[in-house]
Amino acid sequence: MTYVEYKQLNPFQRFAHNFKKFIVSIPNALARFFKTIGRGIVNFFKAIGKGFKNYGVTFTKGDWATKLSYLIFGIGDIHKGKYYKGILYFLSEVFYILYMVFFGWTFLSKFDTLGTVKTREVIDPGQIIARKVYGDNSMLILLYSVLSIVITVIIFAIYISNIKDAYRHQIMRANGQKPTSLKTDAKEFLDGKYHVTLLSFPVLMIGIFNVLPLIFMILIAFTSYDKTHLPPGTLFTWVGFDNFSSLFDVVNNSKKATTFLELTKWTLLWAVIATFTNYILGMVVALMINKKGIKFKGLWRTLFVIAIAVPQFVSLLLMNQMLQSNGAINVLLSHLTGSNVEIQWLNSSVFMARATVVIVNLWVGIPYTILSMSGILMNIPEDLYESARIDGASPFKTFTKITLPYMIFVTTPQLITQFVGNINNFNVIYLLTGGGPSTENFYQAGYTDILVTWLFNLTIGSQDYGLAAAIGILVFIVCATLSLIIYNNSKSMKDEEAFS
Amino acid sequence: MIKSYKFRRHLANGLIYLLLAVLGIIWISPFVYLVLHSFRAEGLIAVPYLIPHEWTFQNYIDLFTGSGGTASINFPRWFLNTFVVACFSCVISTISVLAVSYTFSRLRFKARKKFMNVGMILGMFPGFMTMIAIYYLLKAMGLTQTLVALVICYSCGAGLGFQISKGFFDTIPRALDEAATIDGATKNQIFWKIILPMSKPIVVYTVLTSFIGPWTDFILAKIIMGDSLDNYTVAIGLQKMLANDFINTYYKQFLAGSVVVALPITILFLKMQKYYVEGVTAGGVKG
Amino acid sequence: MKMKRILAVLLAGMMTATAFAGCGGDTSSAASDNASDASSSTELQVKDSIVDYSYFGDEDNVTLKVWAPDKAVNLVKQQVEDFKKAYSEKTFNIDVVAQGESDAATQILNDASVAADVFSFPSDQLNKLVDADVIAKVAFVDTVKDENSADTVTAGTIKDTLYAYPETNDNGYYLVYDNSVVTADDVKTLEGTLEACKKAGKKFIMDCGDGFYACTFAFTAGAKIDGLEEDGETQKFVDYDEDEAVDTLMAFAKLIKDYKGTFQSLNVKQVASGFSSGTCAAGVDGSWDTEVNKTALGDKFGAAKLPTINVNGTDKQLVSMFGYKYIGVNGSSKYPATSQILALYLSGEKCQKERAEQLGWGPSNLKVQEDSVVTESAALQAIKEQSENACVQVNISSTFWSPMGNLGNKLVADAWDASDKDATKKLLQDTISNVRDEG
Repeated sequence: MTYVEYKQLNPFQRFAHNFKKFIVSIPNALARFFKTIGRGIVNFFKAIGKGFKNYGVTFTKGDWATKLSYLIFGIGDIHKGKYYKGILYFLSEVFYILYMVFFGWTFLSKFDTLGTVKTREVIDPGQIIARKVYGDNSMLILLYSVLSIVITVIIFAIYISNIKDAYRHQIMRANGQKPTSLKTDAKEFLDGKYHVTLLSFPVLMIGIFNVLPLIFMILIAFTSYDKTHLPPGTLFTWVGFDNFSSLFDVVNNSKKATTFLELTKWTLLWAVIATFTNYILGMVVALMINKKGIKFKGLWRTLFVIAIAVPQFVSLLLMNQMLQSNGAINVLLSHLTGSNVEIQWLNSSVFMARATVVIVNLWVGIPYTILSMSGILMNIPEDLYESARIDGASPFKTFTKITLPYMIFVTTPQLITQFVGNINNFNVIYLLTGGGPSTENFYQAGYTDILVTWLFNLTIGSQDYGLAAAIGILVFIVCATLSLIIYNNSKSMKDEEAFS
Repeated sequence: MIKSYKFRRHLANGLIYLLLAVLGIIWISPFVYLVLHSFRAEGLIAVPYLIPHEWTFQNYIDLFTGSGGTASINFPRWFLNTFVVACFSCVISTISVLAVSYTFSRLRFKARKKFMNVGMILGMFPGFMTMIAIYYLLKAMGLTQTLVALVICYSCGAGLGFQISKGFFDTIPRALDEAATIDGATKNQIFWKIILPMSKPIVVYTVLTSFIGPWTDFILAKIIMGDSLDNYTVAIGLQKMLANDFINTYYKQFLAGSVVVALPITILFLKMQKYYVEGVTAGGVKG
Repeated sequence: MKMKRILAVLLAGMMTATAFAGCGGDTSSAASDNASDASSSTELQVKDSIVDYSYFGDEDNVTLKVWAPDKAVNLVKQQVEDFKKAYSEKTFNIDVVAQGESDAATQILNDASVAADVFSFPSDQLNKLVDADVIAKVAFVDTVKDENSADTVTAGTIKDTLYAYPETNDNGYYLVYDNSVVTADDVKTLEGTLEACKKAGKKFIMDCGDGFYACTFAFTAGAKIDGLEEDGETQKFVDYDEDEAVDTLMAFAKLIKDYKGTFQSLNVKQVASGFSSGTCAAGVDGSWDTEVNKTALGDKFGAAKLPTINVNGTDKQLVSMFGYKYIGVNGSSKYPATSQILALYLSGEKCQKERAEQLGWGPSNLKVQEDSVVTESAALQAIKEQSENACVQVNISSTFWSPMGNLGNKLVADAWDASDKDATKKLLQDTISNVRDEG
């Protein structure tokens, strides 16, 4: 279709066209995504191969100090006069050995079984009353093993860099160059290598408190960690893909599988509805507030902003109280109608409960949309509206023909963030309905439960950690794939340098 | 003709005013309900009417003096705890976010795109799955049941939320950096002396969002604090007031406490609204 | 008033003579036999819950943490002081911390090593604690068996091991009512109670979304629990007539429909709140709220066993769930001996009596049960009376509660069709199969 043809279509046809284009492009995008991953893996192994080669070559070419660096970190650097770096290398090796001897190895050595010593009772000499002696703690073994593995990987990277650095300095000396001083290096960290300076602290924090727990939880999905295998009293062990298969096994474990299927459907439906209702209605309100000739803009905006400022859990708990059958909403309706109104908003009909959740979510979400849209809405070129007005377009048409396409075009990344946010929208569901209305057809879940709240019930409520971790991984894969594809294909990512 | 156009515009505006007024009332009414009933003297939890019959300050007085209840509720202490945690974590978070987003926006280095992609998806793993691991890591450091642990938890992942402020930095013309580089400025100087002074909206936005976090989290904080009542934050405290042991005695104090927590945040938000909008607008378009 | 008191004393006398006619009746009498056998051969020297110093072993300068529910903190602190006086040769540093009983197990399972050494908890959490092997065995089995009612001992025993010290014998619910609206005659039947409430334009509140209360529907219908199967996990039910059970459930649903607007399913805490605001005239509530309900109602406070419901012309007594509260010792306590001795002391006769006097908690101790504090309390007598028609909370699988809560939710939901026999039958079958975790 040419540009001219496109321009002649009416908005609905255009939308259909764009939608078709989007759907058609999904397989391509997916293919590209997996190709990238595949290429990444190939490159990774190539790099390892190259690394091995360099490792050997450097050893044969190195002088005695470089060769000794293969055993003792930093010798090469110290020998060439780069003292501070050499000492740092050496200290890292000392730290690693001490860590492994005194802490890491005790856990890492049990990584394959996750512990075998059981809890028992003993009576100490001099005592009459028995005491419990806990055996291995599978969870700590797993956690500290992950920690040890991560540290080992880091130390290995340091080890390789130590060899490279030793060889580099050896060559520099052969060429008659002197190693740079500490002062020069420090300056470099404020300029050329400034990204290292800026990133090191955040990356360290994220590494310890995000990545490490993440690896741990991923591994949990392959263990039998549940309410009957609960450290410190009892052991758990590896079970392979059992937790995953129970989610998909429709024949033998029908309840978990149905729950997973049904909740996945509702989670996606919820995310779509919640995102778009918030987006479009929020935009409508923002347009009304920002319309020319409307006064008290600050006041209107303030009314909505207050809803943000009240902590979400407070407003949601309050909403929950207000929506009870004796709550404020029913009291208000009783006053208005003059009869006794007792609507069961949250725990009777599935449709009613789900609709209530979506509406309350509007209450929670629209203020954010208003705040983030106002500025962008005012940036829409005025002449677009001008020409529409001359053509006699109705406000509705102006909205669907100009505002909406413009906004979607500009804020795609935001829309995706919100979509992912709604998939993980724990607060609204948990605090408002607690998952209800309950049902006998689901395992540990109700009709408004989404995957994350189910996952929460499984961990906090029934200690089914293994199963919960498996669900967590699946949710993660969906969200991550979706956002990676869309971000990397979005306009703002492609012309990142547009403004610069 | 002109008259009817004017009339139509007036009519449209009138309708919009009406609609905004109705919506405004709907949005504000839970808050009004909260404030009204925090001054209620009678009843325990629910009452069958909307406006309290007897008014009192007693709920607020009890909340701050701890009278009329038991020793395990200590709201002033919790308020102070939360404030301290919020201040520290807000400083650390802001520095992290700005450092990360400036790096991704302005500095070019190997693996930058990879870092950005990993950073984006890391935040998508359901949070409380990792809580148990975080708890035992903190325990290994001897930090559980301390406020330091909370500061760490609330600020450790901050760097992952770089998208919006990176979007903002992207809108600052690069020519500025280039001119400064020619004048001999280092990247460090450019960051502090050129970019940051131009970034007030996004700094305010980041400070605001990270300051609010500690006031609202009630799950992770509860796991970390356990039974250490003195180190609770207001969020766990308010949640506790609704527990079965407490709700009959403390429901009205819960309402009062919620107002006390909501007020400063509301005022902060209203004062800083302009910057918030500017920050999120510039960042959102590019982010 | 006087008549009532005499009646209460009479009832109390009868009560102590009869064993609980609950579902686990057989096992409880067996346990009491055991208890008397064992006590004759014991060498333990325990008097007034005080033991010989030799039981401490070499523990001294002991630091302990005790968890008590918020309301009881001050009393327990006092009792801890008495404990210190009783063992004046040793030095203790004992901290009493407020911790709700309802999530004691959750807190301990999170991280047992920072949890309390001695803690109180309701009987439904015992399975969880034993499954995870975080609770220590009772060291003074014989004394506990001697002094406490057989049922509390049985309910604290899993696979022949006693895991906790009985603390109360009152973890059940009864009918609380406003006697200016509902008469003592009305409360005999559910129909009468609801009618009286409706006439006055007030509510009847029952927490049907919580399995602890909602299991009343299933139990009254005949689907009573009967311990666990041999695997030690699956819940066993007594044989029941399914048609009759379905009829009973339909009768409940119909009654709830007929009195829509009067019968309300709300959190149990709304009962007291409703009394205080004058919207509620009767409700199903337990001993833990007796004090607050009394404050709200004043002289109008009325307590009775649960009413009956008319099913196809016959009045059926509502059957409730009845449980106990225990004091447990954390398996990871650094001072296991002292913890056990303290738990024994806190669950002893003197401490139970103090709690009955000051908090209105029903004792498990046989002697205190005879005390006038108990026999003269209308609420405790109502609980006792109801416990005759109750399933004892022994060996309940962790999958019991949420299907039962769902059953209650369904019956009270507007969307539920009270006349749909097939749907009711399916609901009952699904509930039982979910409890038995057969899905």
